[in-house]
Amino acid sequence: MSTTAAARSPWYASVTALIVAGCLVAIVNFGIRSTFGFFTVPISDAHGWPREIFSFAMAVHNLVWGLATPLAGMLADRYGSARVLMAGAVIYCAGLVMMAFTQTPFMFNVGGGLLVGVGVAFSSFSIVMAALGRIVPPDRRSWAFGIATASGSMGQFIFAPLGASLITAYGWQNALNILAVLSLLIIVFAAPLMARNTSSAPRNAGEADITMRQAIGIAFGHRSYLLLVSGFFVCGFQLAFIVVHMPPYLVEHGISKEFAGFAMGLIGLFNVVGSYVSGIIGGRGEKRVPLAVIYLLRSLLVAGFVLLPVTPLTTLLFTMSMGLLWLSTVPLTMGLVTVMFGTRYMATLYGFVFVSHQVGSFLGVWLGGRLYDAFGSYSIVWWLSVALGVFAFVVHLPIREQRQTRFAAA
Amino acid sequence: MLRSGHRLALILFTAVLVAWLAVMAVVMRHAALPPEASGPMLAIFEPGAPEDEVFASLTRAGARVVRKGGLGFIWVVAGDEPGLAGRLVKEGALGAYRELPVSPVIAGCFAFADVKMAGLMP
Repeated sequence: MSTTAAARSPWYASVTALIVAGCLVAIVNFGIRSTFGFFTVPISDAHGWPREIFSFAMAVHNLVWGLATPLAGMLADRYGSARVLMAGAVIYCAGLVMMAFTQTPFMFNVGGGLLVGVGVAFSSFSIVMAALGRIVPPDRRSWAFGIATASGSMGQFIFAPLGASLITAYGWQNALNILAVLSLLIIVFAAPLMARNTSSAPRNAGEADITMRQAIGIAFGHRSYLLLVSGFFVCGFQLAFIVVHMPPYLVEHGISKEFAGFAMGLIGLFNVVGSYVSGIIGGRGEKRVPLAVIYLLRSLLVAGFVLLPVTPLTTLLFTMSMGLLWLSTVPLTMGLVTVMFGTRYMATLYGFVFVSHQVGSFLGVWLGGRLYDAFGSYSIVWWLSVALGVFAFVVHLPIREQRQTRFAAA
Repeated sequence: MLRSGHRLALILFTAVLVAWLAVMAVVMRHAALPPEASGPMLAIFEPGAPEDEVFASLTRAGARVVRKGGLGFIWVVAGDEPGLAGRLVKEGALGAYRELPVSPVIAGCFAFADVKMAGLMP
């Protein structure tokens, strides 16, 4: 942008305002879905449903979220992030309203599973980060990814008690409707991004002029991209396994449920710090090495936690440390996609990486329960998690941190 | 340049927290039990309030202590006499709640996990 043009730009189109807007979108998007756990009991009780119906809808939501993310990315890369975020907000809102008023399990799955899943994908922080990636200068890009991820984490941290309070104060149905209205704030927060819509912008310097279809084909033929995809699978596996299966593991080892809950809550708090710091680290040099180290540290932490006696102290140390490493993979992974393929199709290409993450999440939850039932212990899954972490460490090291040749302008 | 970025992050997150605290204050007031409520409930006192003072307040309010909560300023109490919630507030409790609107839902990216988690926790 020229100096004259910049001078004419309204304040809400400044880079700072756009970063703030993107962060607010991430807070609302991630925050609202973090409240869903509180609706399990009231919705199930109100309809006389077994809890599996609610849980299944949430499982559908997560799979749809994963599968819809590449589509959302394609649309964002083609029509601009702001439009996709706004469409996502409307779908998110519709899904939440449907959750509040539906009477049948099928329609609940359509609302809470399908619509909310699509809505979350279309208004997610990956779409925000794609927009920021194009707007923010390269030297601040990694930091911007960090603050956007940290905002999503903060959204979850602050919305969880808010959602629970809303249910207590106004009832679950009104709480869902209030959250539906809050989801529309995404439209307001995404509006400034329209001022710098990048869909029709000329390609950035150093980026080749290729189509989206070519970009996807090239990416899936690029070894480093495939390594990144396989590594992100591990991230999803580890996090989902810990979230679901660690509380009962702690209780089995004599930790009270209340303390376990408090300890798990610390993961969320430290995650905000970890995500932000990870963005800063990614901006200072190579991204693949810190990313690989994060996975190795996760493995060491898990191994240490499993080998040491489970006490309140070791539990706190584990959850705080794991919190620092929690979503800290996201800014670095997003950064690597940008380094390899530029910013033009980053939403699309990150979307495919994220599908791998969600498949890993699903397996982390499912295998955790399955293997526990088979062996009567979580030990094998903990050690599987350690092994996968080492695998992720190994696969990230050979990633070539440079622009893929066909993505580079001649 | 990055230093200004840190400042932006600090201001943004502080502003969000302040806004959140304001909204939570309003919602928590609405979430509190009405003064005439009785039965089992959570009595919330000011964090750091001396335990003997809190115990005396509970006794004066006619509350039966069921157990101390996980955090020192939260007490699980019960009482059959109508108006227990109102008496607790009169005796110094910040509020009385049927259930506390906080939970170990953590930042992550798997809502199904959050659901399972909520089911596992008290």
